[in-house]
Amino acid sequence: MKILGIYNIKGGVGKTATAVNLAHLAAESGLRTLIWDLDPQAAATFYLRVKPRVKRSAAMFRGKRELDEVLKGSDFHNLDLLPADFSYRNMDLLLGENKKPALRLLKLLRPLADRYDLVVLDCPPSISLVSENIFRAADALLLPSIPTILSLRTLEQLLDFMEGHGLKTPVYTFYSMVDRRKRLHQDVIASAGDPRCTVLQTLIPYASEVERMGLERRPVTDYAPRSTAGRAYRALWDEVKRHVGGLRPLSSFDSPF
Amino acid sequence: MHTIYAERPVSISPLRRVGCAPELAWQICCHTQLPVTQGLRHMHDTISYAFLLPHELSAERFARELDGDAHCQVGDSTEVSLRFYDSFDWRLHRAGLRLLQVDLPQGRLLRLKSPAGEECVDAVVFEAEPAWPGELPDSDLKSRVVGPLGIRVLLPIVSVRGKVVELRVLNEDAKTVVRLQLLTLRCESPEVNEPRALLPRVRLLPVTGYAHEHEALARRFADEMEWPKAPQCLFDEALTAVAREPGDYSSKLDVPLKPQQTALDALRKVMLVLLDTIGRNIPGTRADLDSEFLHDLRVATRRTRSALTQVKRVLPEEIVAEFRQRFAWLGQITGPTRDLDVFLLELPRYRASLPAVMAGGLDGLERHLRDAQRSAQAELKRQLESPQLQALLDDWRHVLEADVPPGEPGWFADLPIERVASQRIWRMYKKVLKDGRTARDGAEPEFLHELRKDCKKLRYLTEFFLRIYPAGELKGIIGTLKELLDNLGEYQDRQVQAERLADFAQACDHGDPQYLDTVMAIGALVADLLHQQQRAHDRFAETFAHFDSRRNRDNFKRLFKERGAPLG
Repeated sequence: MKILGIYNIKGGVGKTATAVNLAHLAAESGLRTLIWDLDPQAAATFYLRVKPRVKRSAAMFRGKRELDEVLKGSDFHNLDLLPADFSYRNMDLLLGENKKPALRLLKLLRPLADRYDLVVLDCPPSISLVSENIFRAADALLLPSIPTILSLRTLEQLLDFMEGHGLKTPVYTFYSMVDRRKRLHQDVIASAGDPRCTVLQTLIPYASEVERMGLERRPVTDYAPRSTAGRAYRALWDEVKRHVGGLRPLSSFDSPF
Repeated sequence: MHTIYAERPVSISPLRRVGCAPELAWQICCHTQLPVTQGLRHMHDTISYAFLLPHELSAERFARELDGDAHCQVGDSTEVSLRFYDSFDWRLHRAGLRLLQVDLPQGRLLRLKSPAGEECVDAVVFEAEPAWPGELPDSDLKSRVVGPLGIRVLLPIVSVRGKVVELRVLNEDAKTVVRLQLLTLRCESPEVNEPRALLPRVRLLPVTGYAHEHEALARRFADEMEWPKAPQCLFDEALTAVAREPGDYSSKLDVPLKPQQTALDALRKVMLVLLDTIGRNIPGTRADLDSEFLHDLRVATRRTRSALTQVKRVLPEEIVAEFRQRFAWLGQITGPTRDLDVFLLELPRYRASLPAVMAGGLDGLERHLRDAQRSAQAELKRQLESPQLQALLDDWRHVLEADVPPGEPGWFADLPIERVASQRIWRMYKKVLKDGRTARDGAEPEFLHELRKDCKKLRYLTEFFLRIYPAGELKGIIGTLKELLDNLGEYQDRQVQAERLADFAQACDHGDPQYLDTVMAIGALVADLLHQQQRAHDRFAETFAHFDSRRNRDNFKRLFKERGAPLG
């Protein structure tokens, strides 16, 4: 089981759209995929038509409730969801109650190793104990960044934090919500990235198809797979697969016989 | 609980996978093996349900009928197909295994199930048509089938094709809570001209976290709709649809007879079963699918000849004389290929018996044997397609199925078979006993060859008429006889093989750069074979003593002497 954290300190950079679309493409390719909506805003949960849970997380984080008791299947074969609940806003406190708070998320995920090939973590913005848990649990971190100066600064902050805490998790970043008409976007994309992370080549455009996810409540890669955005997410998934490795296509099947 | 295809998670094996297009021709000789890239595991870890529908329903109509309680959405439809495989003599079925190859959009999958439909081992993706068990990709699946199949090739038994339409049951948020699959299936087999339809069925697949909705719908189908649960494995259903019965061929002779049946009726019944075995093995022998077709064909021929000559004065004399000769011809034309098959089957053992540095010396022998086998097989095929063979089989069937066989009836034709068979077995037993004792006391080696022939005759006689004796009574007798036959067989076969190998060494080209290696390897092999023959000879006295035990003698006497009063 591989764990992919979709993360950024900043909000509104396309984390949830990335998590939902990549998870959908992974499931479609045959990987048994789980998306864990860790953001109390529950956007991924909403996109996949699942009702957010209410006040159930405390028992789960305290180890008194199994993770698989709260799993929900999506509308897509091979894709399950661990829905968010509003109490995630206090997740730092819940994690802090444990003996090794920075490793709690990983411990919770371990029993699911036989059940899923890939877990995609849709992370809340900010940098906190939750973030540290994500950094330690993930096999790779994927950072959507808007090509602006401020985004570059937050990326640097993150890499400094990881360096300071001795975290070796590989970091991949890519540009999202790209508007090629903007000179600033072009300049930032052309600039040399931070050598401590890998900049992926795929650019996710700023597109109305992506915004329609809220109306459709489905991944773009399902309702508009051939759109510019749909194709861009597929290219991103191909690139992620190549870099992360170990994501073998087609590891499960469903046969009526 | 209404379950079908009980699905447990199938864990991945580090195998390989190749995508493929469905291939549905009945080509049973396709031995090409493509690389396989990986094994697969099943997505679902909860039980799914399946129900038989009383009649065919379109997906749209099915969705409308379900719409009363839940909104149901029709999705994509896909073509599906699968084929069940087994050996000609149903070895997997007898071992309680069902091997099937499923064509999925992602590739072709081999699955091994129990008769109850449970997955026995991890599924394996395998592109090629399964044929030789040894050529399957290394996996638990291979390990489970190699033993039961032995030297037999896998053949397609029945094929199921159809359409799967996906449906989704949605809740008030238009969220999928249960997945459905509507299946329309038909079966195909070489035995039937037209595909045969199976009852349509609906399969309920759970969605994680919505077990309640899944169970409720299953209850509705079972209790309200009163739809019966679908059988757990398609194997029996598909075979019934194409009018086949699992285990409908066995090389073992088991003819249902009654003790008071007339000798003529009983003998003709035995002969008809043997004729059927000959006929059923001809296509496989002609196509050289595996060496057991020819073996079974030869055994049935030998048994026929033995029945003709050993069960005396039942069939008209002229019939016996004619068909004895004609079946001898069938024995002769099949002999050369069988001899070479035996050598080829023995080759791995030959190689293993030699020191590793000498084993390569058998390469030339192997090439020679394979070339010779190909030539012999081509000639055999020609003979098996000849009008002479067809005429033999037709004429023999005519004799066996006629109200009264043409010619003067045999003297014992109307006597009860129990008396005739017992008398013949008793006489043959006494001959074997007398000759065996002579051999034990140090007769010429040729004497052992004659003894082996008589032992075979005795064994065939007991097998023909097994069912007229109390069930299980003959088991001990046949066991000791088989032990004796194995010993005599080893003694003779090793000698014949040693002689044939020596002939081959003599015929080798002296100019061949491998000449010395070949001759030395054969020399070592011949020495080993003659040692084995010597050991078999040394064991003869002890083996014969088991056959000549007091208990065995009493059994023979009780079973056959008393039932087989002298016939004159």
